[in-house]
Amino acid sequence: MAGETARILVEFLEVAITSIVFLKGVYPSGAFERRRYMNMVVQRARHPQLRDYIHSTVFGLLPFIQKGMVERVAVIFFNTDGIPVERFVFKLAVNLSYGSKVEEADLEFSLRSFLIKLSVSESLTKVLPHDYRWEITAYFRSLPEASANKDVEQWIPTDTRQWEQPPLLTPIKSMSSEPLCVQLYIEHPSLSEPKP
Amino acid sequence: MSMESTRSDKSAKRSFNNNRNSASSNSNSNPSNKKKKTSQKTLGVAWGSNSRSSSRSSFSNSPFSNFGSYMVEKNRKLQNQFEAEASTSSHGGSGSVKPIFDGVSIFVDGFTVPSSQELRGYMLKHGGRFENYFSRRRVTHIICSNLPDSKIKNLRSFSRGLPVVKPAWILESVAVNKLLSWVPFQLDQLANNQPKLSSFFTLKRSSVSNSASTHAPCQVNPEAEDSSLKVGTSGDTYFSEVSEPFEHRKQISRESDDLVNENSNASLVEETAGSSGKPCEVAMGIPSNIDAEDESSVKNDLQSSHYQPTALVSSNCINNQNMKGSPSSMVSEPSNQSHSTLGDPNFVENYFKNSRLHFIGTWRNRYRKRFHSLSNGFNCTSSNIKASPLKTAIMHVDMDCFFVSVVIRNHPELLDKPVAVCHSDNTKGTAEISSANYPARDYGIKAGMFVRNAKALCPHLVIFPYNFEAYEEVADQFYNVLHKHGNKVQAVSCDEAFLDVTDSEGDPQLLASKIRKEIFETTRCTASVGIAGNMLMARLATRTAKPDGQCYIPPERVDDYLSQLPIKALPGIGHVLEEKLKKQNVWTCGQLRMISKDSLQKDFGLKTGEMLWNYSRGVDNRLVGLIQESKSVGAEVNWGVRFKDLKDAQNFLSNLCKEVSLRLQGCGVEGRTFTLKIKKRRKDAEEPIKYMGHGDCENLSHSTTVPVATDDVEVLQRITKQLFGSFHLDVKEIRGVGLQVSRLESTENSKQGLERNSLKSWLASASARTEELCKNSHVAKESSNRGCEGEGDETLGQLCGNSVGLSIQMDSNTSNGAACLNEVSVLPPLCHLDMGVLKSLPPELFSELNEIYGGKLVDLIAKNKGKTENINHTLSAYSHEKIEGAMKEGQAARLSSMVFQNEIPVENKAEQHIAKEVLAVSGAESFVPASGLKKTDLIPSSLSQVDTSVLQQLPEELKVDILEHLPAHRMQVFSPNVLLDPTEIPLEALGTKTAENNSGSKDFVLDNNLWVGIPPQWVDKFKVSNCLILNILAEMYYKSGSTGNLSPILQRISSVSLHQLDAFQDGWDEAMYILCELLKQYIKLKIELDIEEIYVCFRLLRRFAMKSELFIQVYNIVSPYLQALVGENYGGNLHMSLKD
Repeated sequence: MAGETARILVEFLEVAITSIVFLKGVYPSGAFERRRYMNMVVQRARHPQLRDYIHSTVFGLLPFIQKGMVERVAVIFFNTDGIPVERFVFKLAVNLSYGSKVEEADLEFSLRSFLIKLSVSESLTKVLPHDYRWEITAYFRSLPEASANKDVEQWIPTDTRQWEQPPLLTPIKSMSSEPLCVQLYIEHPSLSEPKP
Repeated sequence: MSMESTRSDKSAKRSFNNNRNSASSNSNSNPSNKKKKTSQKTLGVAWGSNSRSSSRSSFSNSPFSNFGSYMVEKNRKLQNQFEAEASTSSHGGSGSVKPIFDGVSIFVDGFTVPSSQELRGYMLKHGGRFENYFSRRRVTHIICSNLPDSKIKNLRSFSRGLPVVKPAWILESVAVNKLLSWVPFQLDQLANNQPKLSSFFTLKRSSVSNSASTHAPCQVNPEAEDSSLKVGTSGDTYFSEVSEPFEHRKQISRESDDLVNENSNASLVEETAGSSGKPCEVAMGIPSNIDAEDESSVKNDLQSSHYQPTALVSSNCINNQNMKGSPSSMVSEPSNQSHSTLGDPNFVENYFKNSRLHFIGTWRNRYRKRFHSLSNGFNCTSSNIKASPLKTAIMHVDMDCFFVSVVIRNHPELLDKPVAVCHSDNTKGTAEISSANYPARDYGIKAGMFVRNAKALCPHLVIFPYNFEAYEEVADQFYNVLHKHGNKVQAVSCDEAFLDVTDSEGDPQLLASKIRKEIFETTRCTASVGIAGNMLMARLATRTAKPDGQCYIPPERVDDYLSQLPIKALPGIGHVLEEKLKKQNVWTCGQLRMISKDSLQKDFGLKTGEMLWNYSRGVDNRLVGLIQESKSVGAEVNWGVRFKDLKDAQNFLSNLCKEVSLRLQGCGVEGRTFTLKIKKRRKDAEEPIKYMGHGDCENLSHSTTVPVATDDVEVLQRITKQLFGSFHLDVKEIRGVGLQVSRLESTENSKQGLERNSLKSWLASASARTEELCKNSHVAKESSNRGCEGEGDETLGQLCGNSVGLSIQMDSNTSNGAACLNEVSVLPPLCHLDMGVLKSLPPELFSELNEIYGGKLVDLIAKNKGKTENINHTLSAYSHEKIEGAMKEGQAARLSSMVFQNEIPVENKAEQHIAKEVLAVSGAESFVPASGLKKTDLIPSSLSQVDTSVLQQLPEELKVDILEHLPAHRMQVFSPNVLLDPTEIPLEALGTKTAENNSGSKDFVLDNNLWVGIPPQWVDKFKVSNCLILNILAEMYYKSGSTGNLSPILQRISSVSLHQLDAFQDGWDEAMYILCELLKQYIKLKIELDIEEIYVCFRLLRRFAMKSELFIQVYNIVSPYLQALVGENYGGNLHMSLKD
């Protein structure tokens, strides 16, 4: 059960992250192609490396999501100094004990609304500085034991710096239905944050 | 414009038309005249305002007092000149030239070949007259080659009733040196090259004296109110009539410039039977509604009464003034254009109004409406009795030459005279005989024969027009008799039916004579009866029985009877099949029996082969009373179809669509496949012999299927237009158009406005639908998808079908009631009722429900004032809709039903819907209300008290709701700190002012969890509060759909003006405090899982804060708390800056 939910979630994350990358204009729009997912038009990276990065990252999360270890997945845009400018955070809560059958259609319906909302959220985001990079970061509730799984080794500690002040949150979409609860919000550095 | 130039010979030619000028040089008139000719006006241009005003000014100092006198003078001069020229030209030409155009005065309109000058020359030469200016008094013919559309459309005002002829008429007349009839030379655009139906052709009075007409007036209208005799002139072959139709008809008759060719043909009456068999084929016989028919008959009555005064008795028509559309009226009936699609916008409508086949086709629906209950009732039982084929006795009753008998039943003197029915009795006509009586048949007259042929066979044949009202009346009487004697009646046509008399006591033959006697007594028409063991043999027996007799074929005689029977006599064997069989040297059924079933099936296909094999042995397994469901509905017009241009055709198509749409609605079906059939004239085909017939045609058809069945006229029109476009045809070649709709699905009950008007038909249709349901489950599925209403009907229908089975409506009514009473005993328990739904019921329905529940409903409502919403939003909305649908239906049914007891089924039905709606929700969901109630009363204080199995069966949203509430409980229990926390903050913010209150209400906060329950507790609290804003909040809770979320409520409030909310002083502090509390608890509830909701709420609150003091304070108090919680959960602050 949880496996199925996790798979849908991971698939959704892949699409959503690609959408965010597209939304922020990291790459020229030619780097994406229109695809249909959950019966709506989404973007998909054409460049195999980009596609592979997003894909392997989120699918690398799958076993941990199934175990309920992943708390947040963030797409972080940071400048050359490694200081984040904007973070898109997916806050996840998977009810592992959920027993009954998951209605895939219902789940997809809810997840779809994220993609819809995301596609119109550009105004909420910040214009990124000229030279910036991005990465996908996952926040675990607890560190997985290194030996437990080979997948774990693929994950490396991030060197992206944290903000000194608590960030400002702009919620984009929340979904709470059993057994999955996902919230997407954007984090921006607070106004009192020392400028880099 | 060119007025000036005509005044002075010196002025230069200013012409509109160079062609004409250049052509004029060929003319033999002198130059000075030419100049004048250039001033010739085309009609309609002549008296433009410009020319008038300009001329007026220029005449101010002229010898003419006004324009009129100028024109008079000018015309006089022109006339003189013409006469002078005429005398010289006739001198110049051979003196022996006979003045062939004596009495003819032409006016040339527009560009012609040859030019108007040449034509003028001919007129000069041959004794005719040439008018430069149009004058109704002087001109007898208008010559032109082409007319603009506007003139065609307004032919009457243009031609003033004068013939519009091509110049070729003059040329050919000159060539043969005699005045030809102008009729064949009528302008193409008008004449369409067809010989036209007549009308009176009136000449101006002067032409009577002038003309050397050899035609004596045939008839003088005795009622001529006008002294002027109008003499129709024409070629030798035409007969003319003198008449003076009504004043208001005068123009029309003038305009209709055709000669009397088939004079009595002229009318709106349509031909139906065609030379090739069926030019008008009513693809399926179910009509538009009766109202329309009635209306049309009324119209016809009006018409006929209207026409009667003119009554010209033509040929041998007698006594039919009482019929609608007497021959005389036909004669005076105006334009021949209405006989074709040309020019008659209502062609389609009129066509079907007057079509006999349409009558027959649509009769069935009428019959069904009238006898539905009867035939349907026996349907239910008939299937049970099928088993014993040995004893069955089937009777086939057929009226003898129905269409004639009915018409002449009031004319006993004609009983043994040859009489035929046809819409036209013109002796030369190509109208087809639709029915002839036996004396006429003795002359060899058959249905489908042209009148002229029939008249040739039997000159004293009396022809009557149709009398559709009488047919209907007699058909109804006929069926009344049949239904009296047997409850298993299958109508074949308006005059033909099968009866299953197996169950009847007594000898079928005696019964047959009794029936025949009764039919004769009631209808004064005779009927023949055939009796046999099955439908086929009964029908064949009738053949022998006719006329006015009866015949019984016992089973043992079947073989003998069949062996010599020509194959053609078998139903289902038509021309083609007959020819094929004859090629195999099969002439009789006996010979047919020699062929094995296999080879028959090989040659003629599986079904036809089997049919042949069975029929030739007298085997027929069909059951009396099986009503074949119609496979298609459509309408086809193959007579009088002539299009001038695409617009015509489109217009015609859209009318055809209207007709088809009406028929679909009449049948209560919608179709998915649309087939457009076109008859296209073959390239080498001559004009058909039959007037306005379709002649030799290619049959083309295109079809398309749409995903959703429809009967909507606009959709039909759109589809048809597309289909028509796909033919890529020259519209002028089209001789027939038909539109068929197939893949029929029954219309939803909601749409069956007509049929639903009475409870009777409702019940009937429901049971009919049940039948259909059996056959066609997917239709049923669809209908149930569309709502509970359909479902309900079907159930009811089933109830009817199961429990009724009786044939009589009354019975089915009562038993239906009984069935519904059973329903009552399984009323949904009180707690299953949706309060929202109950509240929104109309008062009368509610009181009825209340009675059923023994008054408990009212209590329930009162008790639940605030705590009603048990079922989640979507569910209630859904059921609400359903209930409403049910209500509407119930009301409709009630309105129409006069019977008081019918109210029971209605309310029961509504009840049933409620029950259904609750049950429709799955078992798990139906548990919801109960659990909801439980929550309000005894809230489980922690998760441990909740039965997890129950919880898991709950629908998603509810479960979330519950889960949302339960943690709150736990918090209350386990973390009092969190609760204490908020009380701290307001204290700080408000200072000492609120300290009192706060301390006072601490228990209150601790004791209450505002967001627990459905509806949440705060709603009740707020409702009873004396603070306006709180009241509004509570009110908005319900208005916003009771979702349990705050943001919809706040959104609603944002539409309320907040300024006045601050205008109160009482309880300000209390209101603020409780609002803060509400928000804090809400934040607590949502912070973990739905930050978006909180975000939305607070943005709304911030907006309120800009307008309202109260909300500023509330916002200021709560937002630090919010940020703290957000920080705790998300490690950041909500971005609430006022910028965006």
